[in-house]
Amino acid sequence: MQVKVIIGTLAFMLAMIILGLATLLEPDRLEEATAAYLGRQIENGAQLFRDSCVECHGTEGMALNCVDSAGEEKGCVGLPLNHAPLLCGDSSDRMAQHAYTGSKRNFIRQTIASGRPNTLMPTWSSEFGGSLEPHELDQLTEFIMNWGEELCKDDVVTEGTDWPADWGDLPAGDAANGSDGYLAQGCSGCHGIPESSPDNHLGVGPHLGNIANAAAEREPGKSAEQYIYESILDPNKFIVEECPLGPCNEPSQMRLDFGTVLNEQAMADLIAYYMTLTGE
Amino acid sequence: MATFFEQVREMGVKQATIAKTDEVVGRITTGMNIDDIRGALRGDEPRRPNPRLRPHADSFWFHIRPSFYHTEVTRIYPTFRLGWLATFLFVWETITGIYLMVFYTPRPGVAYSDIWNILTNVPLGSLMRDMHRLGAEAMVLIVALHMLRTFITGSYKQPRQFTWVTGMLLLVFTLILSFSGYLLPWDQLSYWAVTVAVSAAEAAPPAEIIGQNLNLLVRGAPTFGAGGLLRWYLLHVLVLPLITGIFFFVHYYKVVLHGHSLPPGREKAGEDTAKRVPKTDRTYFTPDLLTSELMWTALATLILIVGALWFYSAPLERQADPLVTPLHVVAPWYLAWSQGWLKLADKVIVAFIFMPALATAFFVMPYIEIGKSRRYADRRVGLSVTMLFVAFMLVSNWMGSPEYRVESSPEQEVAQDLIPQEGHSVILAVPYEDLELGTFEPGQVVAGNPRFTEALAEFEAAMNRRSCNVNGDRWDDDCKIGEEGADKKYSNTFANEAMPDPTAFLTIEEEQHNLKRLIMHFSVIDPDDPDNVLVDEERVAFRHADSGYEEE
Repeated sequence: MQVKVIIGTLAFMLAMIILGLATLLEPDRLEEATAAYLGRQIENGAQLFRDSCVECHGTEGMALNCVDSAGEEKGCVGLPLNHAPLLCGDSSDRMAQHAYTGSKRNFIRQTIASGRPNTLMPTWSSEFGGSLEPHELDQLTEFIMNWGEELCKDDVVTEGTDWPADWGDLPAGDAANGSDGYLAQGCSGCHGIPESSPDNHLGVGPHLGNIANAAAEREPGKSAEQYIYESILDPNKFIVEECPLGPCNEPSQMRLDFGTVLNEQAMADLIAYYMTLTGE
Repeated sequence: MATFFEQVREMGVKQATIAKTDEVVGRITTGMNIDDIRGALRGDEPRRPNPRLRPHADSFWFHIRPSFYHTEVTRIYPTFRLGWLATFLFVWETITGIYLMVFYTPRPGVAYSDIWNILTNVPLGSLMRDMHRLGAEAMVLIVALHMLRTFITGSYKQPRQFTWVTGMLLLVFTLILSFSGYLLPWDQLSYWAVTVAVSAAEAAPPAEIIGQNLNLLVRGAPTFGAGGLLRWYLLHVLVLPLITGIFFFVHYYKVVLHGHSLPPGREKAGEDTAKRVPKTDRTYFTPDLLTSELMWTALATLILIVGALWFYSAPLERQADPLVTPLHVVAPWYLAWSQGWLKLADKVIVAFIFMPALATAFFVMPYIEIGKSRRYADRRVGLSVTMLFVAFMLVSNWMGSPEYRVESSPEQEVAQDLIPQEGHSVILAVPYEDLELGTFEPGQVVAGNPRFTEALAEFEAAMNRRSCNVNGDRWDDDCKIGEEGADKKYSNTFANEAMPDPTAFLTIEEEQHNLKRLIMHFSVIDPDDPDNVLVDEERVAFRHADSGYEEE
């Protein structure tokens, strides 16, 4: 019996010592588990992004390289998300644009959940008829936020580059590159051109079939090139009363940050391309 | 009796305090004072009248226990302490379960994040969950072994038939208890295992009346959701523990009433001398059994803590998604036999004819098998049948295991082996830093990177199991070609369906900061027609630096 008393006492003491050690190590373990949870949220978010978001926001989230469900390349109609104006700063530029005062995480989650009215961004939350459950919205948000880890390391300029007032100060444009840019920058997602969309079936932005001529007549004293240039930089600058092809909503649904995603050459190429669209 | 102050006046503070403490101890132990306890622990003879017997008459907890046992049943054989261990685990599960209950809400969406909260935010939460789950699996095993032991030693025979019946009930309750807890984390594993298991309810004949209503009853709705989870939760934390507790006391009352049956060889056939214990064969509860049980309590606690801390980790997969059935849903091991049976016969036959028939047979067995002798030599048929039954259960379990699953297409199987939709895998377990960027062949050796090389070797092994050569000699096995014509079938030694001359590779790319993308490509070109692509598949998985799969 004495043996049993000794074994029992030792076993009990050992159990308590181990429990005590486990308790001492617990803060570290909790921290690791928290990181693991976030890591797995991001992994799941990556899968969801791949399944649901790349068609409009591009594989890298830069609104580049969009592919439709049939595998065809298409214009990206979504905004870039892997993008400093969205992710950097306590209150990012894009939050300021929407006068959003909450946290960035909530801004992103809420945008995914309820969509953006008057744009192609649908409601994703199952609560509003979408396909994503609340936990999936969290995962997607964590994935998008994770781009900021790298992106916002340096002091990035979140304002647009300083654009010259006059389009003539841009480098010479190449219409063939501009034609690629029309696809790559996502213009084709909203604005039809005769080859792909004679009747502007997209119906989001005005048809561009005759833009070279139309732009020349809009504003007295402004050349077509200057009009296109200013419209890309600030889509709300000129909104016409009537649009025979396509809607003309105010405010414009067009993304407002082309000034931060295009460089001067790309802008010049786009303008050169649009000047070839003369309605013929 | 004198008050404490009178005692102080009479014999001084020190003596009075000792006397008072002695009295209080005596009251708590209903009769044993400090000297008696010391004597019991030292192994001294008790004084007369024996104070160690008083608690068995006066105290609630001790009156449940007999004051002495036959020495023959206090050794490891014949009981193996299995009944005692089952009781210990029931208490253990209650304590750890209550701890977990504090942090758990039975509601889809919330339940799963509550489990993560337990893992990430609750002190010792992960340990408690592991101990609860480990205890549950141990309890199923212990209860089943307890039943097997009872059968083998013939302890179910007269007058203990009813003890056997209550024991059978406790076994059933233990299984349902364990399985009802399975659903609560609300992850893919639990959701689908339970969905598959209760799908038999739907088939209860006649399906239009009983099947449908039974299904509604167990799922709370046509499919599992908030109602079903709440039902299973209440079953798990309230109904089943309650009736298990009640039947435990019935069971134990009968055990004490009839006494522990002696080892079969000790008695003449047909005799039951468990209650007639000669003075010389008595082992008293206090101090011998009590010390023994305290020792076992300490040992079992130690084993469970060490096991849960270092050797066992309760799984947690992704949150339950009713729209996505993971490949290869498996029942927990202690119910795998039922999945095995479903491969032998239709679920109506298994669930509503075979299982009830088997259960009934077990319940009535002691009333039908009334051979008098408990000796092994007199029960050769019964013991042989038991061994056959144990073998049958083990084979059934094996048939219900992933080993015997319905195979998916070969490339899906390879992908599932290496980057499964849920759970463990050799590639995900490679440390994040060791997952090099680039494109890798199966079996490729990556210099200076043993872990990754090992994973790629596993890739090759998985490919070899499901590939074969028609023209080349890349893989271990040559193709066996089935039907000719359009539906040509390729197989190899291991699999009914194999990829002829496949190409496969693993690409690892950087997706984001601290996030890598693993893409597994498979392509198979028809050996008879180079323009006909038979398989062109990709499986994508993501791996974050912190996700910690390598520690699981």
